[in-house]
Amino acid sequence: MSTATPIETAEAARTARPARRGIVDTDVHPVPRSADEIRQYLPMPWRDLYQGERRSFYNNPVHGSRLDSVPPDGGPKGSDPDFLRKQLMDSYGVTHPILVPRSFCNIQPDPDYGSAIAAAFNEWLADTWLDRYNHDGAFKGSITINHHDPQRAVEEIERWAGHPHMVQVMTDSGARAPFGQRQYYPIYEACERRNLPLGIHPGTEGMGVNIQPTPGMPTHYIEWHCSMSLAFQSHLVSILTEGVFERFPGFRIALLEGGVAWLAPLMWRLDAYWKALRREIPWVRKAPSEYLRDHVRLASQPLERPADDRHLLSNLESMDAEHILMFSSDYPHWDFDSPTRAFPKLPDDLWQKIFSDNARAFYGLT
Amino acid sequence: MATYAVGRVSELPPGHRKIVTVDGRSIGVFNVHGRFYALRNACPHQGAPLCQGSLGGTAAASRPGEYIWEREGEILVCPWHGWEFDVTTGRSIVNPHRTRVRSYQVSVEHAVPGENPALGENPAPGEHPASVGITSPADEDERVPTFPVTVDDGAILLHL
Repeated sequence: MSTATPIETAEAARTARPARRGIVDTDVHPVPRSADEIRQYLPMPWRDLYQGERRSFYNNPVHGSRLDSVPPDGGPKGSDPDFLRKQLMDSYGVTHPILVPRSFCNIQPDPDYGSAIAAAFNEWLADTWLDRYNHDGAFKGSITINHHDPQRAVEEIERWAGHPHMVQVMTDSGARAPFGQRQYYPIYEACERRNLPLGIHPGTEGMGVNIQPTPGMPTHYIEWHCSMSLAFQSHLVSILTEGVFERFPGFRIALLEGGVAWLAPLMWRLDAYWKALRREIPWVRKAPSEYLRDHVRLASQPLERPADDRHLLSNLESMDAEHILMFSSDYPHWDFDSPTRAFPKLPDDLWQKIFSDNARAFYGLT
Repeated sequence: MATYAVGRVSELPPGHRKIVTVDGRSIGVFNVHGRFYALRNACPHQGAPLCQGSLGGTAAASRPGEYIWEREGEILVCPWHGWEFDVTTGRSIVNPHRTRVRSYQVSVEHAVPGENPALGENPAPGEHPASVGITSPADEDERVPTFPVTVDDGAILLHL
């Protein structure tokens, strides 16, 4: 079977708009070639234990990653940097993929093991995608932390904060308590001190030690996957009401793959309650939604796409997409959003902000 | 209508496919239970190379809780987002009235006796069920073409 990548390339060339600067893709998943690639960075006793653990159920019944993302020389999807460059960067004009490894470290009940997995992923990323595969500095990375172990998480942040290509700290939205609570503050303090945003990414909701953000465990993958945005809504409400951004004025978060269209109505609701109930949280000195532009960004994928584009465009305006939305594709995962097809036609200046400028400013890219 | 020889019947047994570039278009040619079908290799959703998707069956139900596995070998699943298409018609399973992959007629002409007896079932050009019916002009953006295919002396012929 011959490949058909020219279709994609031609499609991208036909519809791509002239950009002053290239696209920044804020959610791209680099995959180890094998569990051994990670295991070699693990100390004993973890090295003998690690088998590349992932969540044990709620797996996609169709396929978890794009079938056409298998590297030509074999290996797991998303594991070949040259093929990723060709299929994502060259096809669409992406100049900077923000790499978000999926370690699944925070499903572990043993905080030492979870933190060891996080550390191993960081060493692997630094040695491979941010060094050997990164001759041009295009790849930017995320410091994986195990938020169940804030002390070790802070050590990991300090260990990598000076790395020239690590642009954020990253953890999973699957959690045991909402992210506004104080047990996480050492992590936020370290992020603020090192001027690194915290990226939050789904995938371990209800897995291992994490609580599922629904009334009980849903039956099907489709329910679980659709409900992942509930974790993000809960974390955001918690962070805003607990006054995290008052306590850490330089702290910033990026909500990755948590959905987009829910933001505006949730803020309408929260702002309304704040007017009545602010005495319960007097440290929240302005309407909760007013913290977003200074502190919160959303990655676009999976972008909700109503049948009528006008409804989406109205929603983007309501959520202040011009300032807080950053394009993401989720390459190579199955629900990849194409840079040329996921959005309806946008005004040029709005396209430029969402696809490039907002992320460049947020992550300090030139 | 131009005709292109895109391969030999002997290289494409039932369940197999071949993706070819003809007249600047990438097209997938499929042998489904001995009949040939051709679809444009682009998903109407976000432009994925549809014909690289998995080919199998799909689940139906007459009531909640029931699984009826059916149409084995006839359902093409987009390699990106998993949208299902009927490879024999190009129609979307989830929304047959709005999303249709354009299919192309493939026929087998003068099949070599014994080479593949099932090939004689392919309809003549113009009779192919996948070559009919576009629902409305408003759907133009959401359909992917199907093309007629015939076979001549064991050669698979694609008609554009």
